Amino acid sequence: MTPGRPQLWLGLDPDGPPFECPAGRVAGLARSRWRWLVGAAGVAAGVVVALLVAASDWADDKAIIIVELLLIGWSFLGAGLFAWRRRPANRVGPLMVAVAAAWFVAGLTSSDVAVLFTVGYLVSPIPYALVVHLLLAYPSGRVQAPLARAVLAAAYLVAGVGSLLVVLTNPHPPWADGAPANLLAVVDAPGVAAAIETTATLLGAVIVLAAGALLVRRWRRATPLQRKGLAPVLLTGALFLAFLAITLTVDEISSSRALEGGFGALAALFMLAVPYAYVAGVVGSGYSRARAVGSLVDRMNQAANRESLRDAMAESLGDPSLELVFKRRGRDEWVDAEGRRCTAPCDRGVTEILRDGEPIAAIVHRASLGDDPQLMRSVGSAAALALENDRLQAELRARVAELQESRANILAIGLAERRRLERDLHDGAQQRLVALSLQVNLARAKLDDDPATAASLLDSAREELRQALGELRELARGIHPAVLTDRGLEAAVGALADRSPVPVTVQPLPEDRLPPEVEAVAYFVVAESLTNVVKYAHAHEASVSVERVNGHAIVEVRDDGIGGADVGGGTGLRGLADRVAALDGKLEVVSPTGEGTVVRAAIPCASS
Amino acid sequence: MAVSVLIVDDHPSFRATARLLLEVEGYDVVGEAKDGAEAIRQAAALCPDLVLLDVNLPDIDGFAVASRITAANGGAVPAVILTSSRDPSDFGSQVARSGARGFIPKADLSGDTLAALLG
Repeated sequence: MTPGRPQLWLGLDPDGPPFECPAGRVAGLARSRWRWLVGAAGVAAGVVVALLVAASDWADDKAIIIVELLLIGWSFLGAGLFAWRRRPANRVGPLMVAVAAAWFVAGLTSSDVAVLFTVGYLVSPIPYALVVHLLLAYPSGRVQAPLARAVLAAAYLVAGVGSLLVVLTNPHPPWADGAPANLLAVVDAPGVAAAIETTATLLGAVIVLAAGALLVRRWRRATPLQRKGLAPVLLTGALFLAFLAITLTVDEISSSRALEGGFGALAALFMLAVPYAYVAGVVGSGYSRARAVGSLVDRMNQAANRESLRDAMAESLGDPSLELVFKRRGRDEWVDAEGRRCTAPCDRGVTEILRDGEPIAAIVHRASLGDDPQLMRSVGSAAALALENDRLQAELRARVAELQESRANILAIGLAERRRLERDLHDGAQQRLVALSLQVNLARAKLDDDPATAASLLDSAREELRQALGELRELARGIHPAVLTDRGLEAAVGALADRSPVPVTVQPLPEDRLPPEVEAVAYFVVAESLTNVVKYAHAHEASVSVERVNGHAIVEVRDDGIGGADVGGGTGLRGLADRVAALDGKLEVVSPTGEGTVVRAAIPCASS
Repeated sequence: MAVSVLIVDDHPSFRATARLLLEVEGYDVVGEAKDGAEAIRQAAALCPDLVLLDVNLPDIDGFAVASRITAANGGAVPAVILTSSRDPSDFGSQVARSGARGFIPKADLSGDTLAALLG
């Protein structure tokens, strides 16, 4: 998962929060009123357009037109309002209502009134583009895949621009003998209009076929559980698109009106079936969802044959690749069931599971399951309690792994420190003592013949001895400073500050002594941080504070240097982090480039 | 004629003190080297009678340097005496295998100890 707030939840939650808040309820009431209004307007529009068709002097087969108009229009309207009510934030409902509205407007094509006829003529292909939109957006209400977006854009473009060009060039459509004048026609070019119409129709057929292919692809990618909900809409939708494509093609390549009419009727029949299929799908998926949740609860309750929660979820949701990850307590970190740190895969869906408003776990699943967030939330809610146990186990494993890692690091650091000590002793004090020995030998040899040189050699021997002592003291302080044991953290930190070439302000430390192991780790945090300030930070000043807050010693070293320090960047800070972790504490390094560095350790300490 | 010596050690303070000590004892210190590579070059160029060679060098191990110097063909091969501030028992039989004439702990370095090993 990425640093900061991980981009964990992919394609989640188009339906809003799992629990409706009071504000949501008020908005729900307002929406409900709107739906009634839209419903009433739709019914009225159907009646008005039907009356206009009935009153038309030129339209043939008026009864068939009116039945088709009202059946399809009101079916989409009713199903759209049902969908809108069931899933207010999902766009499928409004899309169906839009199909109904466009359908009624397109019905004006049979009108006697020139303005209404012109509007109907212009809008007539739009309902089909809207149905393509609806099918591509089903069931989430959003068209997300780039290919589906491209097909949809092409559908609207061909329907809109094609229709506009035809209307502009064709004052008297050949199929509308006796109809009023097309008021938008600017030129009378029936040949051009026919060519445009043929092109747009054939392009429309290709687009419709492409949309059908996308539906088939979605079907193949769905889990068995999802297929139960998707089947009615995808099946009728695909059949509608297939017959629409055939009708459009036959319209252009055949002169048989009977053939065209037959396929047209079949296309209309399947278009009429789409809204009913949607309702059947919603009811069916509701049952499937209830069955999935019920099956999950059953499996979880079978104490005698308890399988892992993951397996139960995978089985219930029909997704064998399903995985569970757990949020660590008090950390922005996710682990798998074995306690290993993990990141969100970018090609999978992820559903967060909340308990008391806090994320406790997440289901990583096939991306297509994200189309039904309600199902994922239901499964998550059913499993939340049991997941809490699995989460505790994962947390425990993560802690054990951390402790093992930290113990191994401390051992490695200990070995490295011993090697460094041996090297320091060999190169420092030991060499000085060797030189001292040689100088004494030499002075002894010179004592009789050249007492002045002997005295000078003894002086330099004394200097070697002084430096050797200083180096031994420094080494001993690196192993464990005596001042810390004798006089406590304040004196030891004060000594570090005094020796630092960069001015260091030490805030007053707690009066009570901290436990010895806490004092030692706090001391090394300050010592290592101040060493880094001197070596790397290019700082003008630094400050040190140690406070007791909520049972923790909070050790903080700040500087005003160049920043850019990183715990993973070197062994020094990594070693500190391990020392702090060994006492169950946490080391944090905030070091933005150019803005100084803050090293903060929180070390748990009981009152002493 | 004084024995010519090349002193090899990475610690300048040891090189300076050893030079003083050996010169007082009548040796002719003809050169100093601070690492193994420089030691091999200087030994070939200066042809000293004796190379006083520290075991712990920053680049090449002193035993390897001793082998290279004593295995050199052509001209007089210098005697190599190894030295270290570590205890000789740390090195086991490596001294004998390196081609060096012997080993002197640094603190015991003197004209007499060198003369004893050179025979």
